[in-house]
Amino acid sequence: MEFEAVIGLEIHVELNCATKLFCDCPNRPGDEPNTNICPTCLWLPGAVPRLSREAVEKASLLCLGLGADLQPRSAFDQKVYYYPDLPKGYQLSQAHLPLSRGGTVTITDEEGKPSKLRIHHIHMEEDVAKLVHEMEGRSPISLVDFNRAGAPLVEIVTEPDFHTPHQAMEFLKALRTRVRYIGSSECSMENGTMRVDANISIRPRGTGQMNTKVEVKNMNSIRHVGDAIAYEISRQSAAVQAGEAVTLHTRLWDPEKKVTLAMRGKFEGPCVPDPTVPVIELSGEWIEAMRSRLPEMPAERAERFVAQYGLTGEEATFMSSDPEVSNYFDALIDQGIAPRTAMHWLTTQLAPAVRERCQELAGTPVTPARFAALLNMLSRDEINANAAREVLVRLFDGDEAPEEIVGALGFRQVSDPNALDAMIDGVLEEQAEAVADFRRGQGKAMGFLIGRVMQASGGKANPKIIRELLAKKLGAAS
Amino acid sequence: MDSIFFYRSPENSLSGGGPLQGVNIAIQPNISVASWPTDAGSKALANFTALEDATLVQRLRQAGASLCGSTRMSEFGFGLEGSRAGEAISRREADAELVLDLTGESRLAASRAACCGFKPSYGLVSRFGVVGLIPSMECCGLLSGSLETLREILKAVAGPDDRDFSLPGEEIPDFSPRPVDPQTTTVGVLAEAQGELNGGHKDAFSASVEDLNRAGFAIREISLPEFPLFSLVHNIVGSVEASSCAGRYDSVRYGQRIPGARNWNEMYLLSRGAAFGPLVKSYLFQGAFFQFERYDAYENACRIRARLVKEMAGILSQVDFLVLPAVSGASSGDPASITDLYARFSLTAFANVTGQPVLYLPSATGEDQPGVQLVAPRLSDARLLDLGGHLLTMGKGGN
Ligand SMILES: [Zn+2]
Repeated sequence: MEFEAVIGLEIHVELNCATKLFCDCPNRPGDEPNTNICPTCLWLPGAVPRLSREAVEKASLLCLGLGADLQPRSAFDQKVYYYPDLPKGYQLSQAHLPLSRGGTVTITDEEGKPSKLRIHHIHMEEDVAKLVHEMEGRSPISLVDFNRAGAPLVEIVTEPDFHTPHQAMEFLKALRTRVRYIGSSECSMENGTMRVDANISIRPRGTGQMNTKVEVKNMNSIRHVGDAIAYEISRQSAAVQAGEAVTLHTRLWDPEKKVTLAMRGKFEGPCVPDPTVPVIELSGEWIEAMRSRLPEMPAERAERFVAQYGLTGEEATFMSSDPEVSNYFDALIDQGIAPRTAMHWLTTQLAPAVRERCQELAGTPVTPARFAALLNMLSRDEINANAAREVLVRLFDGDEAPEEIVGALGFRQVSDPNALDAMIDGVLEEQAEAVADFRRGQGKAMGFLIGRVMQASGGKANPKIIRELLAKKLGAAS
Repeated sequence: MDSIFFYRSPENSLSGGGPLQGVNIAIQPNISVASWPTDAGSKALANFTALEDATLVQRLRQAGASLCGSTRMSEFGFGLEGSRAGEAISRREADAELVLDLTGESRLAASRAACCGFKPSYGLVSRFGVVGLIPSMECCGLLSGSLETLREILKAVAGPDDRDFSLPGEEIPDFSPRPVDPQTTTVGVLAEAQGELNGGHKDAFSASVEDLNRAGFAIREISLPEFPLFSLVHNIVGSVEASSCAGRYDSVRYGQRIPGARNWNEMYLLSRGAAFGPLVKSYLFQGAFFQFERYDAYENACRIRARLVKEMAGILSQVDFLVLPAVSGASSGDPASITDLYARFSLTAFANVTGQPVLYLPSATGEDQPGVQLVAPRLSDARLLDLGGHLLTMGKGGN
């Protein structure tokens, strides 16, 4: 029997707000343990949650950017469970009235066709504390770091629209790009600002059955999500073919063994509305005001790159996949750089150099203005490509203008025909044999001669002009 | 004789001036005062010391009041078993007391002490720093022999708090006194609220209504057949809320941790099992039952609650005030049972369900006679105090 998988994703995204969801503590989970805490996020007796306006705004922008419908009324509920990472015995989450419903993300499927994947709803919730398990002598101990407790999260719950690992991975990449554009989160699975659970069930291909699903957690990259889903599909298929029943449970992905392993079931009951956090009421005007704050989204931007800059569809998608890269790209073109030059130098030279130095394009000292000044000198033939690469390295080290560096290092190309004339005559005299080869029709000799002239100029001569002058002289002499 | 105080303040009266200068107030150990023990009457919070002042406390001190200490309270203030609320006033140890009102505790404590008891409108007073059990029902009640003192306290503590966003963004009402004209004032009497009264209480209540009538107030009989549902709705919604909210009283970071557990779950079970008293424990069990086994009943109770709130608001648009008895006189004889608690509080729980302000006014005829509850629309707290003042003056032979 051939099986088809039915997959739904639950994606937790940590919002990059300045404060936690219900108190003014800094939202910096990575700081020294238990430094960003207060009576509210420790939930000491008498604490009252104060919902962060910034979190509601960032979450709402995220919903709008994913095409979701913000709900006029949403509210927090208490999700009861007892665990040391949850200091009050319940997690504040929106179980009954989520912030938004609906939404879609379009991906390109395995056959290269666009495929629309639907979002069921998006809700807000607080993160829990982090547990660190250590040994104290020979006894195991568990330490609790409350820095993360109360950090603002949204959970994006999809419809079970996915059938392959490819779709899930493409969805996550597209989602990550969009959320980065919106600016609500970095969405890094590696850093834990995006966490993905996959619900997977299988059915005979072609049927509409919805069978018992298994939840898989603990994937630390989009690649792992794909691997875990693929593993789980084949595990369930094998189990069903062997006549075993699939039971509702949670499994953890083991990235080293590349398998999923069953974990103990969690007891979960219905959530009770929280009486302390006010109901969130969003007016139509407020929602429209938020919508007007949405930046241009990746798909629109790619279309513009094709229409305005003449990129191919593939190039445009590539150039719009990262908001920082595409913003920088736009800025270079604004400074008068030709789109293809900008694309080439940005993706092959600047972006790798920035990554190597652990900088961000938005914050690197090589601002679009400085980089554009360099590229302009290149387009005007004032320097050659080798010199441009060397100047770029120096742009990272100080704040000198590229023109100053070019001047100081003597990189300016010699393009003046009069200055080159004598040099070329000298080379032609010395290399009589090559000249003879050229005359005998050996084209290769031209390259050799250009190289000699370059050498004579100390690398500063403009090769284009040399070629022109050489051709003229040899032609004239023939 | 054991002390009525759980904790005595080491501080002397502040002399900063202000409208509450010289007013001595006793609180309960569920109201946070920095460095005071704040156990809310429960072993689950044993030895917990508050880190910050509640907003209530801050505002009382700013207005010049001095806090003389906290009195012994029932576990989380739920019911009056073990509570000494009201005694600081009757023994003249304090001019006023703050008493958490979850089902009517501040009003019944006032009736015990034969003083005035006031439950403000829900949402008028900040909850920041108040340790509670049923957030959507409870509210800090005020006790005093003097209505003017109650008015000054209310004025000092009411209003928005940037540490408690759950207060609705309503305009603070005007608390200044206004004269009451009986000729233009209608007082409603709820027929169903008298059903359970025994003979003596029934007669006393009828006499109180007769007094109002004689004073010139128009009396209107009103029927609300669903009145008994208030206790039922309070019981179901309150227990579910308590069961979920009491999760933070986990005896892990404060309170008493019972040794011998082999894992986390056992630690919770042993410690929480030892922490809560029988009444609260059965209330939490009941709430967990409704949450996990009969969630539909809980949802129905929430719907009925919304309907009851509307019906009460409708009634108070027809009359200016309602008058109700406070003390049912009923009890099942087992003070640790939920049934007994709701029997005792069957005439007061309605206001915790609706969030309306209520003034308990002691009888003008004698300390042994039961007083009445006067009810006004939400945020008409000051009008209740006006009415109370008028009736007290009248009872003393004024007017
Ligand atoms: Zn905090």
